[in-house]
Amino acid sequence: MFHLGWFLSFSTQAWHAPHSDRGGLFPNTDVYVDFARALERAGFDYLMIEDGSFIPDAYGSSMEHSLRTGFASPKHDPMALVPLLAASTEKIGLIATMTTSFYPPFLAARLMTTLDHLSGGRVGFNLVTAHNDRTAQNYGMDKHWDHSERYAIATDWAQAVTALLTSWDEDAVVDDTVNGVYADHTKIHQTDYAGDYFSSRGPLNVPPGPQRIPVICQAGGSPVGRAFASRFADTIVAPSGSIEWMKQYRTDIRAGLVDAGRDPDAVKVLFLTDFIIGDTHEDALELQRRRHAAMVADIEGRLAYMSFASGIDFSTFDLDAPVPPVSTNAAKTTTAQMFAGREHQTLREIASTIIPSLEIVGSPATAADQMEAVMAEVGGDGFLVNSPITPRAIADIAGDLAPELRRRGLIRSEYTADTLRGNLTAY
Amino acid sequence: MTDKFHLGWFTNFAPPVWEGQFSGQNGATWANGKFYQDMARSLERARFDYIMLEDSSMVSDAYEGSSRADLKHHLYAPKHDPLPLMPLLAAATKNLGIVATASTSFYPPYQLARTMTTLDHLTGGRAGWNIVTSSEDRAAQNYGRATLEEHDSRYDRADEFVEVVDKLWNSWEPGALLMDRETGQYVDHTKVHPIHHDGQFYTVRGPLNAMPGPQRKPVICQAGGSPRGRQFAAEHADTIIAQSRGVERMKAYRDDIRARATAAGRNPDDIKVLFIVSPLVAATDEEAQEIWAARTVSAEANVERALAHLSALTEVDFSKFDLDEPVPGDVTTNGHRTTLAEFLKLGDDGRTLREVAAGWNINAVDLVGSVDTVADQMGEVMAHVGGDGFLISGPMTRPYIGEVTEGLVPALQARGLTRTDYLTAGANGAPTFRDNLLAF
Repeated sequence: MFHLGWFLSFSTQAWHAPHSDRGGLFPNTDVYVDFARALERAGFDYLMIEDGSFIPDAYGSSMEHSLRTGFASPKHDPMALVPLLAASTEKIGLIATMTTSFYPPFLAARLMTTLDHLSGGRVGFNLVTAHNDRTAQNYGMDKHWDHSERYAIATDWAQAVTALLTSWDEDAVVDDTVNGVYADHTKIHQTDYAGDYFSSRGPLNVPPGPQRIPVICQAGGSPVGRAFASRFADTIVAPSGSIEWMKQYRTDIRAGLVDAGRDPDAVKVLFLTDFIIGDTHEDALELQRRRHAAMVADIEGRLAYMSFASGIDFSTFDLDAPVPPVSTNAAKTTTAQMFAGREHQTLREIASTIIPSLEIVGSPATAADQMEAVMAEVGGDGFLVNSPITPRAIADIAGDLAPELRRRGLIRSEYTADTLRGNLTAY
Repeated sequence: MTDKFHLGWFTNFAPPVWEGQFSGQNGATWANGKFYQDMARSLERARFDYIMLEDSSMVSDAYEGSSRADLKHHLYAPKHDPLPLMPLLAAATKNLGIVATASTSFYPPYQLARTMTTLDHLTGGRAGWNIVTSSEDRAAQNYGRATLEEHDSRYDRADEFVEVVDKLWNSWEPGALLMDRETGQYVDHTKVHPIHHDGQFYTVRGPLNAMPGPQRKPVICQAGGSPRGRQFAAEHADTIIAQSRGVERMKAYRDDIRARATAAGRNPDDIKVLFIVSPLVAATDEEAQEIWAARTVSAEANVERALAHLSALTEVDFSKFDLDEPVPGDVTTNGHRTTLAEFLKLGDDGRTLREVAAGWNINAVDLVGSVDTVADQMGEVMAHVGGDGFLISGPMTRPYIGEVTEGLVPALQARGLTRTDYLTAGANGAPTFRDNLLAF
């Protein structure tokens, strides 16, 4: 069996695409509530809400493209959505993104615990170091810290937060109505955390939630990113690519976990995957063909995405010349992957060909065949659906594909645990 | 000129009454938020303007130099982050305003601006922010600082904080959102602007990456008793929480706020000052008086709770003083200055620390009687003070909440003193929290 997740944003969902809500629903939350319920019916482990705190303006040195097309902006705070999703579901995991660079540890630990209680132990937090200079400039800095320092800060942050989350013993809440004692102060401890970047006296002023330490999600392909994940992550959002690449990636991650003294089976690697589902396999191939053609026609959209990830303004480059070597302080691995092995291609050629990631294309049956084969080859642990939330996408994937997977015994037929960590580690 | 006044309720995301006769399952279940959802429904039925969730970020060890008393009586801990509760309260209601506290000393302004905007959408234009600068060194130490900034400096920071979030909330002009499928334009980028704020405490480029909500900026709530606090409130707040004791001081406080607002170029009618009260109602006046007397007796035996709470608020260790001597006069705090001053004043009549602590509350006036008696009293107080309403605070049990919403409020409504319905339309379409606040 393998695991399923869905990767989304709290933003407008493909507003200008056919078979979408035409943008009319954002930021109405009903669509997210319905979506969470549909995923829960389908047996997904979690939904993961990515986030950022800036409006992209690298492309064309202007916010124009991003705002005109609704690409990565506007984007709303996912923490506010989590309680509503929790109230409407019972078993599915809810992961929201939090930045280690700009969220004070005490505030973070308190918010995490409050949400863990509200959800009955079903929350997780996707830890990011924040993307780029524009985010840093919203938080009082001229430039963001350099990439490896961001991870040093994140490590200190995670240690501070963990110390706060463990400041109450399990049995600190006494609830003794006879003697009138709510909590036993001898079981609640000052943290006195003092690190290179953060300090916090503690203790936390909230008792531990059902998970005590909520699930930590992480997506970082660089060496420092992977080192961070091997210490702290319970689930890893992984880029996909060729089967060989994915297999190697997972092997490396598992080795890193062992080096960090952790059980590799306790950490689930889910690969970001595009799904194209049709009534028949041929229908799906036709949908794929049309989707690729649309992407090729929208060179601007492709370049804007590349600018977003790298911080480089590709509108200033000659489209029909090869791309000079680039490096970035932003999304290092993503940027490197765009150009790896393509030194002789023109920018147009690079932008027109799809950034290599796994596509599952077929009818529910042939898609299930492919997924089964990928998992057998790679070893585990599952797939993270990378799609806007449109009625069609939900119907295709949660409504048609998931039941087929379930019928074959490839995904869970029911949730066996009450917490997110429990269900993630059930198999 | 209306006789109507406003109602709010003052509480937090912490255990409601968890022991005693009417505590139900509160002790074990409060963290799932449902007690507060039910409460919000009741407040909406009674047409309250808002529920206000106060907050603080520490476990206090001011009393006896230990956290024993705080945790025994759950005074300052546990207390959950109130912002996640807001969407749940909004989901249970349609018109009630929902105010939550966030500290300008600890939040990054961009973070707060974004979360509040998201919540304004989620609540359908009913989000409110209670501004605090925080009042405890222990809270500052949770954020890596040795002590809290000095009182007036905290307000300087808060002034700039409010300036920054205001600029961020206005970084999208009205009409920026187009959603034009003909031209393929989602947002008009010429209407979205960086703020380039560069100040003493904060540097923020902007713009906000969230779209303005129905209110564009949340309702601003504030409770400032000191001169610096009053100035801040008069300049920024839509609603102010007041602790002044007795009708003369209530009137003086409100008049002072209104004068400061006018001097700052604001219409004083745009600020609703609500006074904290804890009405005790029963079937008859006599019954209410009996309950009140019994509570006082019980409080004198349970002075520790009151003193521990006061210690936590002021970070002064009241266990050091002799309970049966007069109230000490020379105590100061960097924390809640007005609360401490009001407490010390209670000892002006020579009563002992024990007596004063037992009878201590932060009510503007004592309201004890049948619902009719109390409703009449509230009307008289408001007529004398001039406005604008009351913030109810009281034992957090379902029966008590019901006594107010199903007993006292109908008596107020029968006298035309509180609203019987919310607005059906607002300044810009569906009525918002601010619209209902400004309705009278």
